[in-house]
Amino acid sequence: MSNVSTDIKKETLLAWKNGSSDAFEEIVNISMTRAYSVALSLVGNAEDAKDLSQEAFIAAYRAKKSFDEERPFFPWFYRILRNRCLNFIRSRSKRGEISMDVLIEKDSGVESPERAMVRKEDAEALWKALFTLSPEHREIIVLRNFQDLAYREISEVLGISQGTVMSRLFYARKALYDVLKDRLRVEGDDTR
Amino acid sequence: MSCNRMESDGMRYLDHEMTADEIAGFEKHLAECDTCRLMMEDLGRLDAFTGRMKIKDPVDTFMEGYWKSIYRRFERKTAWIVILAGASVAVLYFLIMMFREIGKITIGTGAMTVLLAGLIVLLISVIRERIHQKKADRYKDIVR
Repeated sequence: MSNVSTDIKKETLLAWKNGSSDAFEEIVNISMTRAYSVALSLVGNAEDAKDLSQEAFIAAYRAKKSFDEERPFFPWFYRILRNRCLNFIRSRSKRGEISMDVLIEKDSGVESPERAMVRKEDAEALWKALFTLSPEHREIIVLRNFQDLAYREISEVLGISQGTVMSRLFYARKALYDVLKDRLRVEGDDTR
Repeated sequence: MSCNRMESDGMRYLDHEMTADEIAGFEKHLAECDTCRLMMEDLGRLDAFTGRMKIKDPVDTFMEGYWKSIYRRFERKTAWIVILAGASVAVLYFLIMMFREIGKITIGTGAMTVLLAGLIVLLISVIRERIHQKKADRYKDIVR
């Protein structure tokens, strides 16, 4: 499980707070792929995700005084990034273009072209289905299922109770299931 | 009969957030509660489906220059702040000059008046947009 609590060394965070741009570069290099992935899951488009994650790092740099170096970096940064992504989604007049080929199967290994095609279609169907959900529902599924955060960590990054995490996950999953149920039923029948 | 244990225990069960005792207790409940069992079958299938997928890491070329781009943005934003500060001082200076030469219409004062009128309209427009954005911001309470 990825751990949001031990992502960056305390010395690096302290050096950044004391004005070291090298330390900030290190923080960016450690966090950028994760920041990009989270942004991509929220906004759906690769270029927008890259742009928003970079803007979030700039905002984080400016807000460094409000960062408590005793706390982990990513939950604090995540709130900045999330805020930017949600504002971006709300401000765009229509739904933006969603990048495809984002999800892949874990450990797909060697397989027939037909099977590979089905897996690709499954991944695309899931990705598209995620974007029929509200941003809050999509976000919680991404944090749990794709960022592998524990409830305690999700509660920390979103600033909500663990009870709300469970409840939000439940309604998000129900909504996602409703979108994918035909595909899931076929798949269930196939594996019997 | 409706049962809402899936909303809490069901999620903890699916996400491996239960102790062994809690798992045993909830599995007993599943055996007795049709509502939860059927819901668990559906959401379990979804969980298995999503569990097979992961977000692909971006290719190196896409993330190449990520830090440099952040650095460039810093520079540009700083440059804009400097330009705006300089422009503000220049406008202030011309305003003072205009008041000194009030009543004398010259090409310089005329041009400055038009320029200032444009800037004021632009400023009002930006402020109005910002206020509108702030009022409509559903996430304004999120701590940045």
